[in-house]
Amino acid sequence: MTWQIRTFLRTVVGRAYPRFIGVWREKSWVIFDVFFPLLQVSAYVYIYRAIGAPPEFAGFAVLGGAMIAYWMNVLWSMASQLYWEKETGNLQLYLIAPTSRMAILLGMALGGLTATTVRAAGVILVGALLFRIPLRVGHGALFLGVFLLTLVALYGLGMLLSSVFLLWGREAWHLSNLFMEPVYLFSGFYFPVRALGFWVALVASVIPITLGLDALRQLLYPQLMERFRFLPVEAELGALAALAVLFLFLAHRGLRFFEELARREGRLTLRGQ
Amino acid sequence: MRRLREAWQGFKAGAWLGWQIESNWTEPFLFAIYSVIKPVAGVLILVFMYLVVAQGGLENPLFPQVFLGTTFYLYVVNVLSGISWSVHDDREHYGMLKYVYMAPLHLYGYLLGRGAAKTLVATISVLITLAFGMAFLRVRLSLGSPGLLAAALMLGLAALAFYGILLAGVSLLIARHGWMVGDVVAGGLYLLCGAAFPLALLPAPFRALGLGLPPTYWLEALRRALLGAGLHPELAALSDAQLLLILAGSTLLGVALSAGLFRAAERIAVRRGLLDMQTMY
Amino acid sequence: MVPMDLAVKTEDLTRVFRLRKREGGREVLALDRVNLEVRRGELFGLLGPNGAGKTTLIKILATLLAPTSGRAFVAGVDVVENPAEVRRHINMVCGGETSGYGLLTVEENLWMFAQFYGIPSREARRRIGELLSLVGMADRAKTKVYHLSSGMRQKMNVVRGFLTDPEILFLDEPTLGLDVQTARTIRGFIRQWLREHPDRTILLTTHYMHEADELCDRVAIIDRGRILACAAPAALKKTLQREAVFRLYLEGLADAKAALDGMPGVRALAQQEEDGRLRVDLILSEEEVLVSVLSRLQAKGAKLAELRKEEPTLEDVFLALVGRRLSEEAP
Repeated sequence: MTWQIRTFLRTVVGRAYPRFIGVWREKSWVIFDVFFPLLQVSAYVYIYRAIGAPPEFAGFAVLGGAMIAYWMNVLWSMASQLYWEKETGNLQLYLIAPTSRMAILLGMALGGLTATTVRAAGVILVGALLFRIPLRVGHGALFLGVFLLTLVALYGLGMLLSSVFLLWGREAWHLSNLFMEPVYLFSGFYFPVRALGFWVALVASVIPITLGLDALRQLLYPQLMERFRFLPVEAELGALAALAVLFLFLAHRGLRFFEELARREGRLTLRGQ
Repeated sequence: MRRLREAWQGFKAGAWLGWQIESNWTEPFLFAIYSVIKPVAGVLILVFMYLVVAQGGLENPLFPQVFLGTTFYLYVVNVLSGISWSVHDDREHYGMLKYVYMAPLHLYGYLLGRGAAKTLVATISVLITLAFGMAFLRVRLSLGSPGLLAAALMLGLAALAFYGILLAGVSLLIARHGWMVGDVVAGGLYLLCGAAFPLALLPAPFRALGLGLPPTYWLEALRRALLGAGLHPELAALSDAQLLLILAGSTLLGVALSAGLFRAAERIAVRRGLLDMQTMY
Repeated sequence: MVPMDLAVKTEDLTRVFRLRKREGGREVLALDRVNLEVRRGELFGLLGPNGAGKTTLIKILATLLAPTSGRAFVAGVDVVENPAEVRRHINMVCGGETSGYGLLTVEENLWMFAQFYGIPSREARRRIGELLSLVGMADRAKTKVYHLSSGMRQKMNVVRGFLTDPEILFLDEPTLGLDVQTARTIRGFIRQWLREHPDRTILLTTHYMHEADELCDRVAIIDRGRILACAAPAALKKTLQREAVFRLYLEGLADAKAALDGMPGVRALAQQEEDGRLRVDLILSEEEVLVSVLSRLQAKGAKLAELRKEEPTLEDVFLALVGRRLSEEAP
């Protein structure tokens, strides 16, 4: 193994470590990342119950709540992460290290993904038990495949966003805020995205969770979703794979481009912008 | 007399500073994000949930009630949670809390001032969302009881500010997790106060809890004032005057509780050195 | 081609910052045609006041900032053309840093950074233990970083810089804002490390004259983006040997600068209020000028409270070159 590959792998592990260890060291996440989303999810479950929705819709809300954990992680701990790293002085130390920037982002993504999976599982488990939600996965392998591919595409997007956000200062914070409620709406976190109309759903598919959620719902509730499905699962799977490749490629290129631009404009180390 | 003057000084300083921090309409991008896009998107999620499932879609009789509850709930998020966030923000991000505390003004009054600024900012979001509902979602609001509306708004907003200070006291004491207190409480209240669905759907103990919380009565009074009817059958037996009386009572309770408990929290925070604690959030 | 014995070389290095429109939109010249050569194995100091361009220069050399024009070579490699190669030879420590993750222990933080340099975990842990002992922090290895004082944190950051055993190390104000004892520990550590690694190079920026004097083999004095002088501290001070440096304490006069304005033989002057008196540091072209200086001051109403002849310091060199003290902002 060459020095570069070894350093790449060491960097991934090194950068993933703080995120991974954080789950066990800072237990307060249970309140914020499981209890708090559950409050929101519960409200949506009761809204569905109030209008006489079939019990599967409660499943929509719980699944959406779990996926929100990933989206929040991508927004706040991937996209705007480099802004925080700049503020604390870590970014410049990453950039002067003789390692791949993709390895650092990958480490961040893997660490975040692992930690968030623990959280999302908590939301699903407690939500399903609390509201007695029917969860029957017919095609286990396919379900797992869609889920994993969604995450790869999603964190690919996160890596791309973080390279774009490298240029920004406090605006990164506002942009992340902008991508919350509107994305919950357009990606159909709490209702089938088809309700927005085909073209809106198509545009919203640029965020991988849109397609991932739709496919997962189809696999969980095939009968109900016949009326609401956006695209066939196979098409969504294909699109997710394409998005994953595209985002990872763009992240790689974007990182180089934006780093160079930021270096020219002197924005890599400027704090308190 | 001096204490009153200090409280007024604090209120003015808090309101001015809060306004400087919160008022963002000089920057159209920020104004669009926080006062238009986020609140309207939140309401639209409900809209599509109704369109997908509810009989009659937006014509479902529940929809205007849910719309109104969710829209006015923006005040709860902004004012109640916002005040406790100010404590966290001033302490962690700006490192200013200790200086505010040392200045010859009243921290309580200062936070009330921050709450006043947040109320003003939230009012813009609420008005925009209401206008959006009337223009695009066929929500018909009527000003049947302007007196009820004015009284409910005034009492309810005052109560939110005082309970916000109570929460700020809690934030003072749990420095490490202060940032999440507001969000967790706001999320919990949205569920328990029947902002978006009838309380009857909640399990009995939670329903009872909901009936003990002031925002439940506040939202019900606003619904009666603007839609002509309330949402919760449990409260149907109460007259408008009784609703207002409960609100007034809970506001007074808020004043007493916040004054007493916040002072206690302040004393404990000084003793434990929490006023200038930086936790590397 | 850069000679092998040079660790750093710059040629007419210039950096202009264009401020944003809301900040006035004007251009600020941070580095103005800087030509510098730092030899391998040298501890080279950049001495200058805040805003002189020291950090800008370090950032360019550390590949964090692109120059507007000119060239810079680190370990013989062009920082613009091949930044990735430069990074294999360098590390950097900045004063006042808050880097690292509060949730991790000191050892974990340092291990994480070591991973970015491809250092195997066992070797990293060995070096961490060794270096922490050297800065007196061995007992803090398992302490979470958010429990550390700012001094301890800075020591950890210094260790982070040395941990990768860099060929060339940039130290940007490494003792900034630290208490005397911690600053002394860090300076001692730097000296010891260099003794044990004579082939390594350190480029240190500072605005503490004593630090530059005590540590550096050679010092470049920088102000407003320009290098004004470059030599060993003793040689720099020697440039003032033929001149006379005095410190005067005056009463009854508020502005000695105005009083002595245009007076022949007065090379440089700095003044400041001290305990109700006016302290005046004077550099005169020769001792004899002092007599006429004193008579002029007396004529302006000043009463001489104290007079001392001083040995020239780097501060005086700076004063003679720039016309103000290191601690004074550029007008």
